[in-house]
Amino acid sequence: MTEKAAPRSERSQARRFAGWREHHGWSAAASLRRLGGRPLGTLMTVAVLGLALALPLAFYLLLANVQSMGNALGQNPAVSVFLKTDQAGAQANLLAGELRGRADVAAVTVKTPQQGLDELATLQGFSGAVHALDDANPLPWVLVVQPRTGLDAAAVDKLVESLRGERAVDLVQDSSQWRQRLDALLDVGHRAVLVLAGLLALAALLVVGNTVRTDIASRSEEIGVLMLLGASRAFVRRPYLYAGIWYGLFGGVLASLLAMAIELALAGPAAELDRAYGGRLMLGALPWWLLLAVPLAAAVLGWVGARLVSAWQLRKAA
Amino acid sequence: MIRFDQVSKRYEGGHEALSQLSFEVAAGEMAFVTGHSGAGKSTLLKLIALIERPSHGQIVVEGQSLAKVGRGGIPKLRRRLGMVFQDHRLLMDRTVFANVELPLTIGGIAPAERSRRVRAALEKVGLLAYERQLPDSLSTGEQQRVGIARAIVARPAVLIADEPTGNLDPQLAVEIMGLFAEFQDIGTTVLVASHDLPLIKRMHKRVVVLDHGRLVADIPGEEVL
Ligand SMILES: Nc1ncnc2c1ncn2[C@@H]1O[C@H](COP(=O)(O)OP(=O)(O)O)[C@@H](O)[C@H]1O
Ligand SMILES: [Mg+2]
Repeated sequence: MTEKAAPRSERSQARRFAGWREHHGWSAAASLRRLGGRPLGTLMTVAVLGLALALPLAFYLLLANVQSMGNALGQNPAVSVFLKTDQAGAQANLLAGELRGRADVAAVTVKTPQQGLDELATLQGFSGAVHALDDANPLPWVLVVQPRTGLDAAAVDKLVESLRGERAVDLVQDSSQWRQRLDALLDVGHRAVLVLAGLLALAALLVVGNTVRTDIASRSEEIGVLMLLGASRAFVRRPYLYAGIWYGLFGGVLASLLAMAIELALAGPAAELDRAYGGRLMLGALPWWLLLAVPLAAAVLGWVGARLVSAWQLRKAA
Repeated sequence: MIRFDQVSKRYEGGHEALSQLSFEVAAGEMAFVTGHSGAGKSTLLKLIALIERPSHGQIVVEGQSLAKVGRGGIPKLRRRLGMVFQDHRLLMDRTVFANVELPLTIGGIAPAERSRRVRAALEKVGLLAYERQLPDSLSTGEQQRVGIARAIVARPAVLIADEPTGNLDPQLAVEIMGLFAEFQDIGTTVLVASHDLPLIKRMHKRVVVLDHGRLVADIPGEEVL
């Protein structure tokens, strides 16, 4: 079908669509120009948004690191069994043999008092104290009991209880317990981050809404003229919606940049920590999709804020 | 075409600004509305543009009964009207070209067509040379002509103007009124509110006279001396 043969309404509809698209482009560019026209105000709004959105990211970063640290340290939840100091190596090996026969035990390692002392000496700050102890080693024999993998918390508890019941045993330290506590704490932390993120997203919405409200108020004359010339509400609103999108986008980009900066600042100390724990830590980084999602989500947030405010403010304009 | 049928308008808390007003301006006709200050001239024009709604009676513009136009239909109706204001209401941060272009942008006209029509409208009011300038750099009379170019650029069937020469000296006022007469010549219905009787008399067009919201005289053009 040639253009000439196309029905009139179809052609005029295509023209309208082209005009509509063009006005979107104009609105996006014009609102960006207006933002650039008062750089200080724009910068302040974007900074407030960036900080508000960076906060939950920073907490998320912290949690992710604690979690990966916990994962690294808690990979082999071992139960340390400290024997009474009057127990000698023979009793230690005997008990070790007994324990190896249990169904809920995967492995048992016997640590001599000397091994314990050597380990202590490698820990930072302890070497001096250890030297002072050189001839009289006060450390007991220790059995490191590895529960069978896949054992649930209750079964580990039962194992620990029965270990405590052994006559030769002085103290039982269940490392899986701190792991459980950490997991519970992390769970609370994750919920707190979600609540925080929700509250700060609401704050961001209000910040954009308020800024757009001032924009609209300062241009009430122009809006009046546009309405008199037959502009629809959607037409009048469009540049302000784009302004909301820009504020959100820039604020979100700033938040992601801040989060990356925090991560970078933490990288040094984290590596240090890593070395201190013998390279067992894997410090988690913010995933790239999150760093991309934040600006996009913030842009949507800005649009929503601008949409709500403009609907409210243009309600009386006619 | 504009028709008022027993139209009354009472502002909230005020007295009647218009009382049982009936008249008709035929398609392609030009008429003046006159009367002293407070007679109801601006109110009459505001009713046509749906800036205000009548308290009683019926108004028909271009065959469309305004009572049937809802809130959502107002923009569409206004796009069929050209409006000129005493204080021109130009956007001072946009060029003369961009100001005149506004109704076409609002109407969703394509850029090339817009450009052509804006130039034609500016040519008509003799301001094509100023298209790239900001309204601030123009004289009051020139600003008013930009306002007129904006009003006619979308080729409205009806052109209404509220005291369009109120801020102009007599010589410029005559020129502006001459422009309105030219638009009538190409088929536009023109309704101009003005209290400037000497000027109106020079135009030899129909005159509707209001007094305290009532129509007190309706003088055909050929009887205006
Ligand atoms: N928005 C308004 N609220 C209340 N009264 C108004 C309003 N606008 C105009 N009036 C009153 O209506 C009457 C007609 O006003 P107007 O139409 O502006 O007259 P004109 O344009 O002929 O000077 C006047 O008494 C004026 O005070
Ligand atoms: Mg008036």
